[in-house]
Amino acid sequence: MRRRSLLIAAVATALVAGCSGSGGTDSAAAGEPVSGGALTWAVETEPITLNPHQYAQAKARLLVWNNFESLLTHDDKGGYVPWLASGYEASADGLTYTVKLRTGVTFSDGTVFDAAAVKANIDQLLADGYAPAVAAVQLKNLKSVEVVDASTIKYNLTTPDVLILDFLSSPQGAIVSPKSLKEAKNLKAGGTDLAGTGPFVLDRYTPGQELHYKRNPSYRDRPAYLDEVTYRFLKESSVRVGALTSGQVQVIEGVPATDQAQITGNPALTLSKGLNSGSAYSYYFNVTHAPFDDIRVRQAFRDALDVDTVLQGVYRGTATRAWSVIGPTSPLYDKTLEGTYGGDAARANATLDAAGWNNKDADGYRVKDGKRLTVRLVQSAPFVRDRREILAQAVQAAVKQSAGIDLRVSVVDQGTAAAALEKGEYEVFDNSRADTDAGAALNLLLASNGAINRLGVQDKAIDGLLEKGQAAQEAAERVDVYKRLQQKVIADDSLILPLYAPADQIASSKKVGGLQFEPTAGVPGSAYTVWLSK
Amino acid sequence: MLRRLATGLVVLWAAATAAYLALLAAPGDTVDSIIGEGADTPLIRSQIIREWNLDRPALVQYLDYLWRAAQGDLGRSYLLQRPVRDVIADQIGPTLTLAVTAAGLGIVLALVLAVTTRRPWARRVSSTTELVLVSTPSFLIGIVLLSVFSFSLGWFPVSGDQGVAALVLPAVTLALPVAGVLTQVLRDGLDRALDEPFVVTARARGLGERAVLVRHALRHALLPVITLIGWLFGVLLGGAVIIETVFGRPGLGQVTLQAVTSEDLPVVLAVVVFSAFVYVVINTLADLAYLVIDPRLRRS
Repeated sequence: MRRRSLLIAAVATALVAGCSGSGGTDSAAAGEPVSGGALTWAVETEPITLNPHQYAQAKARLLVWNNFESLLTHDDKGGYVPWLASGYEASADGLTYTVKLRTGVTFSDGTVFDAAAVKANIDQLLADGYAPAVAAVQLKNLKSVEVVDASTIKYNLTTPDVLILDFLSSPQGAIVSPKSLKEAKNLKAGGTDLAGTGPFVLDRYTPGQELHYKRNPSYRDRPAYLDEVTYRFLKESSVRVGALTSGQVQVIEGVPATDQAQITGNPALTLSKGLNSGSAYSYYFNVTHAPFDDIRVRQAFRDALDVDTVLQGVYRGTATRAWSVIGPTSPLYDKTLEGTYGGDAARANATLDAAGWNNKDADGYRVKDGKRLTVRLVQSAPFVRDRREILAQAVQAAVKQSAGIDLRVSVVDQGTAAAALEKGEYEVFDNSRADTDAGAALNLLLASNGAINRLGVQDKAIDGLLEKGQAAQEAAERVDVYKRLQQKVIADDSLILPLYAPADQIASSKKVGGLQFEPTAGVPGSAYTVWLSK
Repeated sequence: MLRRLATGLVVLWAAATAAYLALLAAPGDTVDSIIGEGADTPLIRSQIIREWNLDRPALVQYLDYLWRAAQGDLGRSYLLQRPVRDVIADQIGPTLTLAVTAAGLGIVLALVLAVTTRRPWARRVSSTTELVLVSTPSFLIGIVLLSVFSFSLGWFPVSGDQGVAALVLPAVTLALPVAGVLTQVLRDGLDRALDEPFVVTARARGLGERAVLVRHALRHALLPVITLIGWLFGVLLGGAVIIETVFGRPGLGQVTLQAVTSEDLPVVLAVVVFSAFVYVVINTLADLAYLVIDPRLRRS
């Protein structure tokens, strides 16, 4: 029996409105919620696009839900709750999802929200050249969309795919007014002319400087507390912190380890942290050629590294160690992997000796058949964040010292990095994905035909597990499938070296209440729940 | 005049072509840079190629670009999905305001310093300070100024293009190294001018030291400074990249940085051509300025 019961709108409303629970920050000092006021929030990243369908930056997610909403949203236990929907139902064969929509909702441009509007959004997403990544990944199993009646829409799939629910909860699945989809001046760039149903309306965008939202007076639910909120782009973390400590902004996001003491040492400020969803920041071993085609070298590389020591050195105790490719907050995370590998230099050396890398050259690196044990990590400079280049240097020093492995790190421009990946001129690939459902990330990273399969792994067993995980409708069954998958890629095959779980930080004045991290995603939430105490 | 115009056009064309070739020669192709860190499948690639007409030969794309550019169509940004003309037009104002203010401030500071610090001890103090300022990365100057005048004293806002108050710190940050170099050049020019026989003549006519300095020597010392104006523009545009990032100011610098790192060809080309254009204009103005300052040049 795999039928999901239709959830009642009232329950959903309560869940969405009251989701401050576990993800909330310390807002005791701000007292009870009050209405009114203007908030300024300094953010690190200026979004490339303001069209939610084109969303591609996890750092920009906190902006999306201010003026847009999707049909479903995540709860904090890995499930889904209706948002613009009033309930949903999956057929027993997992091939049809019927979604009931809320009635009486309008977009901020006055257009009525109904099943036709939802279908218009899907049609737009599938339009040639509009959102190729969404069409090729999130909607790859979508056969058709049917308008049943004004408040019911049906998604027909070609193969069972529970990730369709993740799509319905994603920024790319946000519903934009069909009228504005037609009339927007630069549709893919988005902007003030794209209308959503959210609690705020974007009314001003100054590129390079700020985004300004004002309260949506006709929001269907409790109106937002804040009259207006300004997101100011400050790329430098020290400048963000300075702006906060001097009271020029009330909230900042993105507080690196080096700046956190300034916040925690200030009684007027508070700092909170949320672990992101998706895949952990990991090193992927390229198994298509030597030396990582030999599992013993992969095991030895992991054993040669004491991840905790390296993280402590680089992040001063603020990083959370990852043990699996799946982030530790995911319901799919396999906790039994913790403490099962790594940090054993003696074993690393013994393994490498056994694998034939038993000579050392003048520089102290291991050699086999006259070739040094060299592995290359190519980082693309525009995407390096969280001091990952420094972390790579620390790993480099550690594996050299403990096992004589020569890790060559190069930070290069995007084109050079892409060329190196294309030609297979790398042995280590580093990556973290912020997908809300870790299964979606693993489909890209581990499947034989995966879009980011930099392991070069072609394994029927892995593909089979990924397919099962994507089709499994029961939560317990999914957890079990992904547990087996993690055991295989982490424990049995040593394909991946997980390093840390990416996190976001919010620092704010204690006068600000209601700040929270988005459930599941673990990134800062929208301004809907935020208030400014008088 | 017509010859100047023709030369200018050739410079613009050469700049656009050089930038085009450089980007063509850079590793990785356009599709890779559009995909970035995202998913990469044949379907995604083919859609991108179709959308941007990337399946045409490079030469055809180049000629098409020139043809459109000649008609004023700079294309659409790969990354931002907006017309390049809009992207640039939005950002030129703040950058020009910053550059002109910083240039003015730098020149005034240099003039005042060079003329007033003639005594040996003042010279030494000023000269050392100038060297320090020239050698300090403007990133650091910006952060220090921000910490003192914005974060601690709260005199100026940290960010944005919000009127005069927000312009002060970025302009000063950008102006200080400029003033450093210009003061050194001016002082050197003054020294040499003061050794010339005409100064002895002027003094013999009973002119005061200040008048000799300001009315006669300064005029001579200005010529090498004018020559530096082209350089000054380069410094201001390059400096804007860093200043705008540190101060969270909108402007061409940030646009350029983003376009270059993501190989956003249409935007990079537009910025290059625009820079070349300003260069041509400024050098033409500098040539005219020589004539105003040095009557000897007018005769030839």
